[in-house]
Amino acid sequence: MNVHPFRRVLALFRGKQLDHELDEEISTHLSLAMEENLRRGMSPDEARRQALVQFGGPQQAKENHREARSLPVLDGVLRDLRFAARVLRKSPAFSIIAVLTLALGIGANSAIFSVVRGVLFRPLANQDEDRLLYLRQSAPGIGEDNVTFSVPEIQDLGGHLRSIKELGTLSSIDFTLTGLGEPREIRAGVVDGNYFQVMGLHPVLGRLLNPIDDGPNAAGAAVLTYRFWTNTLHSDRSVLGKVIRLGSQDGTRPATIVGVLQPAVPYPVETQIIANIVTSPHHLSATMVTGREHRMTEVFARIAPGATLEAARAELHATYDAMLSAHPDVYKPAEHFTITVSRIHDQINSKANAILWVLFAASALLFVIACSNVANLILARTVRREPEFALRSALGASASVLRRALLAESLLLCAAGTLAGIVIAAPMVSLLAQYASRFSARAVGLTLDSSVLWTGVALALAASVFLAFVPHLPSNEASRALGVSSGGSRVSGGSHRRLRIFAVTQITASFLLLAGAGALLRTLLALEKTQPPFETARVLAVNLPVMTDGRSEEQVLDFYRDVQARISGLPGVEHVSTGFTVPWRDSFGLDIGLTFSADGAARINGDEDPRAHFRSVSPGFFATLGMPILEGRDFNANDRDGNERVVIISQTLAKELFPGQNAVNREMRWTDPVTKFIGISNAPRRIIGVVPDLDDQNIIPRPFLTVYQPTTQEGWNGRLLVRAKSDPYALVPSIVGTIREMAADQPVERASTLEDVRAEILTPNRLNAVVFGGFAGLALLISVVGVAGVLAFSVSSRTREFGIRMALGAQPHNILTNVLLEGLAIAGIGVLSGVFLGFASARATGKYVADFQLPGVLPLVLSAAVILAAAVIASVLPAIRAATVDAVEALRSE
Amino acid sequence: MSDSKLDLLQGTLDIMVLQTLSTMGPLHGYGIARRIEQVSGNEVLLNQGTIYASLVRLQQRGWIAAEWGTSDNNRKAKFYSITKRGRKQLHEDAAHWQRLSTVMSRVLSMTESEEV
Repeated sequence: MNVHPFRRVLALFRGKQLDHELDEEISTHLSLAMEENLRRGMSPDEARRQALVQFGGPQQAKENHREARSLPVLDGVLRDLRFAARVLRKSPAFSIIAVLTLALGIGANSAIFSVVRGVLFRPLANQDEDRLLYLRQSAPGIGEDNVTFSVPEIQDLGGHLRSIKELGTLSSIDFTLTGLGEPREIRAGVVDGNYFQVMGLHPVLGRLLNPIDDGPNAAGAAVLTYRFWTNTLHSDRSVLGKVIRLGSQDGTRPATIVGVLQPAVPYPVETQIIANIVTSPHHLSATMVTGREHRMTEVFARIAPGATLEAARAELHATYDAMLSAHPDVYKPAEHFTITVSRIHDQINSKANAILWVLFAASALLFVIACSNVANLILARTVRREPEFALRSALGASASVLRRALLAESLLLCAAGTLAGIVIAAPMVSLLAQYASRFSARAVGLTLDSSVLWTGVALALAASVFLAFVPHLPSNEASRALGVSSGGSRVSGGSHRRLRIFAVTQITASFLLLAGAGALLRTLLALEKTQPPFETARVLAVNLPVMTDGRSEEQVLDFYRDVQARISGLPGVEHVSTGFTVPWRDSFGLDIGLTFSADGAARINGDEDPRAHFRSVSPGFFATLGMPILEGRDFNANDRDGNERVVIISQTLAKELFPGQNAVNREMRWTDPVTKFIGISNAPRRIIGVVPDLDDQNIIPRPFLTVYQPTTQEGWNGRLLVRAKSDPYALVPSIVGTIREMAADQPVERASTLEDVRAEILTPNRLNAVVFGGFAGLALLISVVGVAGVLAFSVSSRTREFGIRMALGAQPHNILTNVLLEGLAIAGIGVLSGVFLGFASARATGKYVADFQLPGVLPLVLSAAVILAAAVIASVLPAIRAATVDAVEALRSE
Repeated sequence: MSDSKLDLLQGTLDIMVLQTLSTMGPLHGYGIARRIEQVSGNEVLLNQGTIYASLVRLQQRGWIAAEWGTSDNNRKAKFYSITKRGRKQLHEDAAHWQRLSTVMSRVLSMTESEEV
C-alpha cells in the first residue's frame, strides 16, 4: 500500500543522509547487543560475533531499508547507474572514445533522418496534397523531357473532364519590378484564376488570386511569395496594397499587391511574385492564346471529389490521345508526344529519392561502424573484467543482475553519446539540407527538428541494448576462473573471433565510403581543373534587364549601344559587349535550340532539319570573350534592322554543314515553328563568319553547334560583358555609376566574373564531395580506433606468448612485425570484402539509380592504400608495446 | 533448532512492531527486536536487522513516529513511538488476525465426520 508515495520520492533525494542515519542506528544496535551478550557472560569476541549473527548482516539490512523507503525499481536503476558511472570514470580513455564514437554515429544518423524525413515524408503545405496532380508533357522523340503546355492544348485537355475538378496553370516569366525600393529583376509566375484553389494554398496576409482576377479585363494583381517577402522585403506589412510596375519585353503594366503566400514549396520553379494574366502583355497576345506550339505553361489539376487517381489518369490520357489525333500535323508521330500524370508529392521528390536513400545507406554504415567499434571496445574490456564478473556471480548476483549492470553502463555511454551527437547533428543538418536542396525544393531552409531527438534516443536505446548483450557473461564454469588471478590468459576463442569480425566489418564499411568519396572527389577535381575557355576567367558579366517602360524598340537598342560605347571608354576596360545570355549562368536562355536549314549543306540529322543553339550577341562579343574570328568577320554597326540579315556560326557546325568547304557567304534560314512566337523571321540569313565552339552550357566542353545573331537584327539584349585589363570587380562601381547616369531606374545586378559563375555551378559537386568525404573521413577515423583497439586487446592477451617467444630468442622486431602483420591482415580482409560487397551492391544500385557509375580503379586503389596505411598506424602502438614486453614479467604475470 | 523457528512474513513483523510499541511505549530498534524475540519465547526467526526496513515502512505510512535520543549506553539512537493512526491500524490488524486464526484452526481441525 503506497499511502505516502511523496515520502518515498523524497527519500530518493535524501539518500545519503538517510543512509548515514541508518548507519548510526545500526552501530548503536550492535553495541547494545554486544553489551547484553557481555552481561550474559560471553567473551568480548564471542559477544561481538553473536551480536552480528543475531543482527543478520548489516549490508542486507541496509539494502532492505533502502528498498523499503523508496521506489524500489527506480532506486535499483539509480543505483546501477551510479555504479556504472563510477566504473566508467575509472577508465576515462575508453569512456571518452566510446562516447565520441557513438556521438558521431548517432549524430550523423539523426541528421540524415531529419533531412530524409523533412524532404521525403513531411506532408506538403498544400491542402489535400493527395488529390493534387502535376501534368507533364514530354516529347522524347526530340529529346525533350518537359515541353510544358500551350493555351490551346490546355483548353483541349481541360474541356470536359469529370474526374478532374479544376485545372490550374502557371508559367514563369522575368519582369523588371519597380515600386518596391530598388528596381530589380524578378521571376514571376503568371497564373490563371483557379491556380491557388487547385494548389490548396492560403495567404498569410491579404488574399490570393481567384477567378475575379482572371481574364483580360481584370485589374493587375500580384501575390508575393513568402520567401521574397521575408528575405528581401523584411516582412514589411505595409507592402499590402502598394502598386508596382512590372516590365517585360512587351510592355510595362501596373499591379496591386493583394497578399502574401504562405510558406510553400515552390514548384516547378521558384518565383518572387505570382501575378495574374493581365500583367503580362505576352500572355494576352494572340501568339500565346492561339499558338498551339507556343508552349510555356505548367499545369496542375485537382481530382474531383469521389474520383480516384487512376480514373483521372485514364481520362486525361484518353482526352490527350484524342487531341493528338485531331492535330496530326502538329504532333508528329516521330516526336512521341506524351503526358504523365503524377501526384505532386511524388513529382517534387523524384530527383531526391535516390540521393537521399544513398545518403541514408551511408549513414547507416557509419552507425554500424560506430556501434561495432564501441562493441569492440566493450568486449575487450569485458574480457578483462571476467574475474570481476565471476566474483560477483559467485557472491550471488544472477546473470540478469550482471546484465543489468552492463546495460546501465552501456545506457550511460549511449546517453552521453546521444547528447553529444545531437550537438553535432545541428550543423550537420544545415549542411545536408543545403546539399539536398539541390535535388529537392523541400530541403530549402530545413533545420534541426524534434525528430532528430527521437531518432537519437531510439538509436541510443537500440545501441545500448545491443552493446549490453555483446559481452559473453561468465558461465558457471567460469566462476572457477576465480582461481586465475589475471584476466588475460583465459580469453575464449569466441570473443577473440568476435573482435576480429567487428574490426573487419568496420574496415569494409570504411572502405566502401572512402571509395565512394574518392570517386566523387575525382569527378570534382576533373571539373574544377577544366580551364575556362578563351581566358574567359576575367570577363565580368552583369545583368542589365531590358526596361521597355515608355521606350520603343529602337530606343532600347540605342540604349544598349550607348551603354557599350560609354563603358568601353572607362579606364581599365579592354572590351565591352552586350547580349542576351551570360555563359553558364542563364540556363533558361541558354536552352534555346531552333531548327534551321542551309542551302547546299550536308544532311546532319537524317531527314529532319538540324538543330542549333541560338545566341544573340552584339558586335565585339567574341573579342570580349577572347574568341578569334576564324573566317569572315565579326558583326558591326551596319548589321542592323533593315539591312541584310547576317549570322556567325560555330566551327563544328561549319565543318558538319559544309565539310571541306568554306561556310562563309552561304545562306541559312530558321525553320523552327517556335520562331514565329519569338519574333524571328524565316528570311534567309548570310553566314558572314566562323568562330571556335563555345560550350556555354557545360563545364567540360563538348562540340557545340551555335548560330549567333546580332542583337540589332531581331535579337535580344539584357546582359553586359566586360573584359577588364586587371581586376574585374574593381570596375563594378564605375560601371554601375555610368549606367545610372544614363537611366536612373535601370536594374544593374549580379555582377560576377565568368570564373566565379563557373565555380558556382560546381557547388553541388563540391557539396557532394564534402558530404561523402566527411562521412568517409569519420568512418576511417572510427575504424582506425577500432583496429587499434582490437590489436591492443590481442596484444595484451598474448603477453605470455610474447614473453615465451622472447625468452626463446625471438627478437623484438619479430614480435613487432607479427603484430603489424596481424593489423594488415585485418585491414586486407576488410578491403577485399569491401571490394566484393561494393561490386555486388553497385550492380544492384545500378538498376534503381540512373547514371550510376562505378568509381574508377584509381579511387579504389587509393582507398585501399589509405586503409592499409591507417591499419599500420593503428598497429604501431600495440606493436611497440608487444615488442617491449619484458620476458620475465610476462611469464610471471600469469 | 533454526528450522523449527517460524519464518516471519513482512506484514506480520510490522504488526509485531506496532504491538510492541503500543505496549512498551517509545523504544529504539534494538529494544523492539529484543522484545519481540523475548515475547515470542524465542520461537521467531528474526534477523534483527530486518527490523529497520519495517520501521521505515511504518514511518512512511504514518503509523509510527521517530525521534532522536540517547540510549542506555550513551549512544545516539532513534526512538520510535506509535501514533494515533498506528493504534487504529493495530486495532484493525489485530482483529483481522484473530478472525484469520480462528477460521484457520477450524478448517485445519476438520475431520471426516463433520457435516457439511
